[in-house]
Amino acid sequence: MDSKRLILALALSFGILAIFTVLQEKFFPHPAHNPTQTAQTTPQSTATKPQSATGAPGSASTQAAVANGPRLAVDAPMLKGSIELTGAVFDDVVLKDYHETVAKNSPLVQIMGRRGGTTPSYVQFGWTAPAGAKVPDDSTVWTPSAQELTPKTPVTLSWDNGQGLIFQLILKVDDKYMFTVTQNVVNKGAAPVQVYPWSRVVRDYKPKVESSWVLFEGPLGVFNGTLKQEGYGALKDKGEKSAGGVAYSSSGPGGWTGITDKYWLAAVAPEQTAQMNATMSYGKVIDGDGGAYQTSFITDKAITVPAGGQAAFTSHLFTGAKVVKILDYYQRIYHIPNFYKAVDFGILYFLTKPIFFALDWLNTLTGNFGLAIMIFTVGVKLLFFPLASYSYRSMGRMKAMQPKIAALKEQYKGDNTKLQQATMELYKTEKINPASGCLPMLLQIPVFFSLYKVIFITIEMRQAPFYGWIKDLSVPDPTNIFNLFGLIPYDPTMISPLLHVGLLPIIMGFTMYLQQKLNPTPPDPAQQRMFQLMPIIFTFMLARSPAGLVLYWAWNNILSVGQQWLIMRRAMGPKPTVPAKG
Amino acid sequence: MSPAALMLSGAVRAYELTLRPVIGANCRFHPSCSAYAREALVCHGAARGSLLAAKRILRCHPFNPGGYDPVPTPKDS
Repeated sequence: MDSKRLILALALSFGILAIFTVLQEKFFPHPAHNPTQTAQTTPQSTATKPQSATGAPGSASTQAAVANGPRLAVDAPMLKGSIELTGAVFDDVVLKDYHETVAKNSPLVQIMGRRGGTTPSYVQFGWTAPAGAKVPDDSTVWTPSAQELTPKTPVTLSWDNGQGLIFQLILKVDDKYMFTVTQNVVNKGAAPVQVYPWSRVVRDYKPKVESSWVLFEGPLGVFNGTLKQEGYGALKDKGEKSAGGVAYSSSGPGGWTGITDKYWLAAVAPEQTAQMNATMSYGKVIDGDGGAYQTSFITDKAITVPAGGQAAFTSHLFTGAKVVKILDYYQRIYHIPNFYKAVDFGILYFLTKPIFFALDWLNTLTGNFGLAIMIFTVGVKLLFFPLASYSYRSMGRMKAMQPKIAALKEQYKGDNTKLQQATMELYKTEKINPASGCLPMLLQIPVFFSLYKVIFITIEMRQAPFYGWIKDLSVPDPTNIFNLFGLIPYDPTMISPLLHVGLLPIIMGFTMYLQQKLNPTPPDPAQQRMFQLMPIIFTFMLARSPAGLVLYWAWNNILSVGQQWLIMRRAMGPKPTVPAKG
Repeated sequence: MSPAALMLSGAVRAYELTLRPVIGANCRFHPSCSAYAREALVCHGAARGSLLAAKRILRCHPFNPGGYDPVPTPKDS
């Protein structure tokens, strides 16, 4: 009987592991690459993008697209790169403060990608002219007013359409991650001209996303004050079903839109007072992997350029790391609505954002993100401690109760339900109850989930070391018990990705086991079995999660065990403070 | 059991087998809140069963002595 159960339990656990592997492959693929880009050799043309209408944001004209044309260099304190002058394409931004890996000499993070390469990802600004005036397109070669764009030297790109209109892109870059792009049209003709300025963020491939239910990656924006996230898959599905590939559209004043990775963002924000039409669309291209994901803004009303005059429209372009303080800063000074929501704080943002700031503060204080997590967890535990310990107020009786419980056990031998019932009644009459209740538990879940989420999404943890063998808290523990922590020179994950369990996850599993030992087990045998399996399942499940998360989980378990021990000791201690009544 | 009650009951069972082992059993009553919820859904249907379960969870805190608290039989209500 027992061995049968054991076999059943083992079969069940392997079944769960197998299912989990499949699910993990689907939802938690291995840490994704950074879109790295090197110079390309094969110029290709971008095919028609979604939407039509001359010069519309969707219809970058058919041929053109040059990869190795002249470029305008960009150099700012926190970013550098270049702008493709043919078509005026922002397709090359390198972040000076972020390396691809923890190795000191690893390349800097490149967050955009040139067309013609394998990871085309870029931003463009342009005009649509309803009257059929000649507007700049992908083959337009712009003339820069200087050789290099820096915070001190703004650069104007100009192009004369030969019909009396001069188009200008006045570019500025600040000391962080923001470009200011003023789209100016000078009309030398005799008649007024109408134009619709537009901007678009495009990705001609679908990146490998780490996305899961706690983290969003893909096209997003804030329209009418509300965050809209449209994953790559959903965008493609909806786009393929609708005319012009449009998956989502919205009208309203200002806002912002872009495409985000876990840590990086490229986004445009138009003038916040202007009425804008936003569109997220999908189309087929020759570039990249053949699918183009685009999100764009175009002014709702045409801007009139008077004869002999000029008309300008100013947008901001953010290309950088999603550091919350920087996003907040831009939200404040440029009035970009809810710009901080580019970081996936989720619907519990009223919890996740304060938790983030607390963690960030502890991080600057201690200089170690792992320590910050641990201190913060202690704080949360302390906050909930009164709830957990209240049931032991009128205490000193737990010890006295032991004989009574033993007596009940004798009395209801073989009848578990009756025993449970009688024990609970005893707790009630004696006014002590070792459990803190379901309501406090329920209240704690959102807090701990928020902490889990913040740890998962925050850029502050990227490449942050802990102590010992943990060099990067945002990636899984690199050690592996299946090759005896490196003693055997082979890679067990060649056989199955499940065969990677580091030391930290094993410690976590053990702490979970300890914590369960102290908890009452439920009478239901199926639940009991799950109780016993959970530490094993969780060890494997968390083995491929960021080490910071595993650290948090293990530490939380240790604190729970300590708290339980403390309460028990107080309860059973030699000095009962309140004498028993009656 | 109505389909709604059956679905809710299934969700509670799923909780018992997945989340509960992780966060630990902390109930101050017998039967436990989740067992109570499933029984209430069987006896009282989806709407009233859910209401009873919610009320039970709201009772399950350190300031309530806990103890034996069975689902009321439909006649009682």
